Amino acid sequence: MITVNHLCKDFHRVQVLKDISETIEKGEKVVIVGPSGSGKSTFLRCLNLLETPTSGEILFEGTNITERGCDINRVRRKMGMVFQHFNLFPHLSVRQNITLAPVKLKLQSQQQADENAMRLLMRIGLADKADAYPNQLSGGQQQRIAIVRSLAMNPDVMLFDEPTSALDPEMVGEVLELMKELAREGMTMVVVTHEMGFAREVGTRVLFMDEGQIKEQAPPAEFFASPKNPRLQDFLSKVLTQ
Amino acid sequence: MQGLPQKCYFAAGSVCIKRELPPAISQPFRFKSRFSRMPDGQFPKKGMVIEMIDSIVSGLYQTLVVDNRYVLILQGLKNTLIITLFSLLLGLLIGLVIAVIKVSPKSPLMRPLHLLADIYVTVIRGTPVVVQLIIINGSIMRASDNQILIAVVAFGVNSGAYVAEIIRGGILAVDRGQTEAGRSLGLTPWMTMRHIVLPQAFKTSLPALGNEFIALLKETSVAGYVAIRDLTKAGDSIFSRTYNIASMYIVALIYLVLVIGLTALLGRLERRLHKNDHR
Repeated sequence: MITVNHLCKDFHRVQVLKDISETIEKGEKVVIVGPSGSGKSTFLRCLNLLETPTSGEILFEGTNITERGCDINRVRRKMGMVFQHFNLFPHLSVRQNITLAPVKLKLQSQQQADENAMRLLMRIGLADKADAYPNQLSGGQQQRIAIVRSLAMNPDVMLFDEPTSALDPEMVGEVLELMKELAREGMTMVVVTHEMGFAREVGTRVLFMDEGQIKEQAPPAEFFASPKNPRLQDFLSKVLTQ
Repeated sequence: MQGLPQKCYFAAGSVCIKRELPPAISQPFRFKSRFSRMPDGQFPKKGMVIEMIDSIVSGLYQTLVVDNRYVLILQGLKNTLIITLFSLLLGLLIGLVIAVIKVSPKSPLMRPLHLLADIYVTVIRGTPVVVQLIIINGSIMRASDNQILIAVVAFGVNSGAYVAEIIRGGILAVDRGQTEAGRSLGLTPWMTMRHIVLPQAFKTSLPALGNEFIALLKETSVAGYVAIRDLTKAGDSIFSRTYNIASMYIVALIYLVLVIGLTALLGRLERRLHKNDHR
């Protein structure tokens, strides 16, 4: 579904991503872990071109999205993204947050979009918050609404950029639960996270990134039981003892 | 270290003095001595008070009633309001466009527009509005005999440069994540700007915009320079005939009332836009 070939990204001459090639198949749940500054968020943000790669190419469902003249807006409709800081639109109600993109892009009428929004809100148990504004909600509620906002576009893949890192510990569970539910329904997911439990439980494949490269990857059982790369062994010994 | 006890001593002392004076006697005495005594130290006689009231009334009569001069003031007020309203709208429109150009990425296609916007803001902010008004009246729009239109263009173009910088500041204050969220949903750059960034930028810019609108309202008082009969010009021409300054006091009062009204209006708008901020 997503093929990355020789992806490089520099920020002011600092190489953040060094020649990454990777393929993500439909239905996979790829979890990316690694120390901070390892380039995992940049890698994820390159996938929908929120960061422009310095070189290399990215193919999504057969189209080369790094090619000049590619309509990236059309491609992004099919790639949902969830951010660390939710990034809900504070001046719009929850319902308007969800319906804005489908309506403005003329994919749905306002009425269809409203019905769809209510259905999605019902599913996460927040139907009564449809007319509330983001600031009136807890972090966990905001993040679940942000997920649902992406789902309203019926994406083929969902990208998660540390979706629980900005949450109070007691709210992490409800967000992870929704993500697990999505995974069970067969959504293709790429998740950058520090939640090792989630990686172990939900991931079909775990990537370890360090210094702008994918240093090791394996199915979760193997990844956590017998890490080969010494840097990964060190990393796991630190994060798993907590 | 020494200042504090001294201060306390003073405060205590003054309270004591006040207590010693019986209020019934001291209050009227102080009132009279402060406000009503004439320069020679005498209390005014009844005839002088009447004289003062008489001079105020005759001043108002001269300024407003004789030759129906109040009509001049009303016409001036009307022109000032028209010029302010339309130049405000024009300035807002220009400011929005320039601000959006200035925050857009400097692609080869946009580069000339960036340059144009920079020149516009630099020139307009770098020269006095009166000079701009005279130039527009005397050369750029010389063919037009619609003085009001000339004033609207001059003040609108002038205000636009300031509004542009205010709104640009507001746009830059909107979190980058907002744009990213919009774009990641597939919205175009323009849709993201229009539906996500600008509404939030406008909200943050509103206090500074209010300032600019108030300044604009008062700035239109130089329109008289090119023979536009605005409020100030009306007051001034009455003054030059009556030699009574009452007309300018009336003009000042009208500006004050207008500014107070505008402030109240902006305050209401601000409260409405911020109603969603409460947790």
